[in-house]
Amino acid sequence: MSTNVEVREASGQGQFLSGRVAARIAVVAVVVLFLAYLALVNATLAVMWLFGLAFGVILQRSRLCFASGFRDIFLMRDAGTMRALAVAIGVATIGFWLVMQMMVPEPSFGSLPAAAHVIPIGLHLVVGGVAFGFGMVIAGGCVSGTMYRIGEGYVASWASLAGILAGLYLSTLTWNWWWTNHIKDMPVVFLPKWLGYGGAVALTLLALAGIVLLSYWWEYRSGPMPNFALGGKNEMPPMRLGAKLRQMYDLVFVKGWPIAVGAIALAVVNVFIYIYSRPLGVTGELSAWSDRIVSGLFRIQAPALLGVDGLAGCNLTLGAGSWWTSEGLFLDGGLIIGALVAALLANEFKVRLSPVKRRYVQSLIGGTFMGYGAGIAIGCTIGAFFSAIPSLGLNGWIFGFSLLPGAYLGVQVIKRIP
Amino acid sequence: MKIDVRGEICPYPMMKTAEALKKLDGDESLEVLTDHAPALGTIPWEAAKNGYETTIEGAADSEWRLTLRKFEKEAKPQELLANLQEQLAALNVSE
Repeated sequence: MSTNVEVREASGQGQFLSGRVAARIAVVAVVVLFLAYLALVNATLAVMWLFGLAFGVILQRSRLCFASGFRDIFLMRDAGTMRALAVAIGVATIGFWLVMQMMVPEPSFGSLPAAAHVIPIGLHLVVGGVAFGFGMVIAGGCVSGTMYRIGEGYVASWASLAGILAGLYLSTLTWNWWWTNHIKDMPVVFLPKWLGYGGAVALTLLALAGIVLLSYWWEYRSGPMPNFALGGKNEMPPMRLGAKLRQMYDLVFVKGWPIAVGAIALAVVNVFIYIYSRPLGVTGELSAWSDRIVSGLFRIQAPALLGVDGLAGCNLTLGAGSWWTSEGLFLDGGLIIGALVAALLANEFKVRLSPVKRRYVQSLIGGTFMGYGAGIAIGCTIGAFFSAIPSLGLNGWIFGFSLLPGAYLGVQVIKRIP
Repeated sequence: MKIDVRGEICPYPMMKTAEALKKLDGDESLEVLTDHAPALGTIPWEAAKNGYETTIEGAADSEWRLTLRKFEKEAKPQELLANLQEQLAALNVSE
């Protein structure tokens, strides 16, 4: 075997007992103390903080990026991330089914399980999905991706977040038009109502398996690919307990996780958080931030949003009430801080300024497309896709398939932006 | 040729490397400096498809120097790719 990729580590990198250990312990201690404080004042916020931290750690460790899941299909003819997402969504589908079956044992009467991300289908999902898919490729990351990259120190991701907030505010301003002219008349399609849970789960898993097969076909249609045999050489010498623990620590906190591990871990978190209260979602809370910022800075009152109270999932929210008692703040905040902690532990945190100034503009514009799309489609790649398909609603599929042409358009555009 | 793509957002490190590869003369090598860990998975892959082998070394914390050289003899992308995964696993980062 020839060694085409040699790996030489920088000196001192990855040392367990280096001078950085104290700083790392301090950061972890602050996060845990804050958790303890929250647990004393408000247990729900503490749980949300914990889920948020897990969310951020998982995304940072596995670099799970929904944007690259859709983008690399076109940019590199690589559907590996999409495959991991399909498998993870399958895992969440089984978990969600058990939760929903307990809440609504007989779905044929038409009632929906509480909090399931089943929302009206229609053009808003298509327009929102295309806009979102386009925006996430332009900005170099979707909403959750933007937030974990903020935790890793990417300054351009702040521009994306500003764009997302602006886009969400724009969708707040146009929501009533969408609701009155389209969404309120559109049907909610909860597959178990027609197929029973068994049929709906079976159909969903079959469709996901179809995506896995299609992803392989897409990669192999240009000819044979190299075969990566599993296993490989195993020449590990016996090791002492200390070395073994160090190895396991490195495996979890220093080396990255395979993307499928991250995706499946996130699916498990999604099932747990649904058992606790509701499926994962990010953008509903962000829309409240955008309203609080606009009403706080400019004293402009956004119009009351029609119909959102009857919608499950990441519906737009006006920022009534306090910042500090909102569950979503601790989930979304935990996502950023969890990614920050994971990056610090792995020695991967760095303030990264883009050498190309137009990248900030690009991130801002991409973010605005994403924010607007997430607003009218009632969620992002998490709420309207990763949590929606396991909710057994047709809406998750429509949004997911609409992301594809958006991502394709985005790829054509970034190829032309130097 | 040397390119510095530090600070660049996804997927520009890989795209700029692919562009630079096209501009190389003959047996010239390409040195890429990046701080974007996901690029360690994408750049060697893209390089191998074009018949280049990659050496990765840590340059600083969270910074890596990738050296892309034309594969000796004739380009055998299949062989290059086949060894890629095992060798990346040895690096202290994920793809």
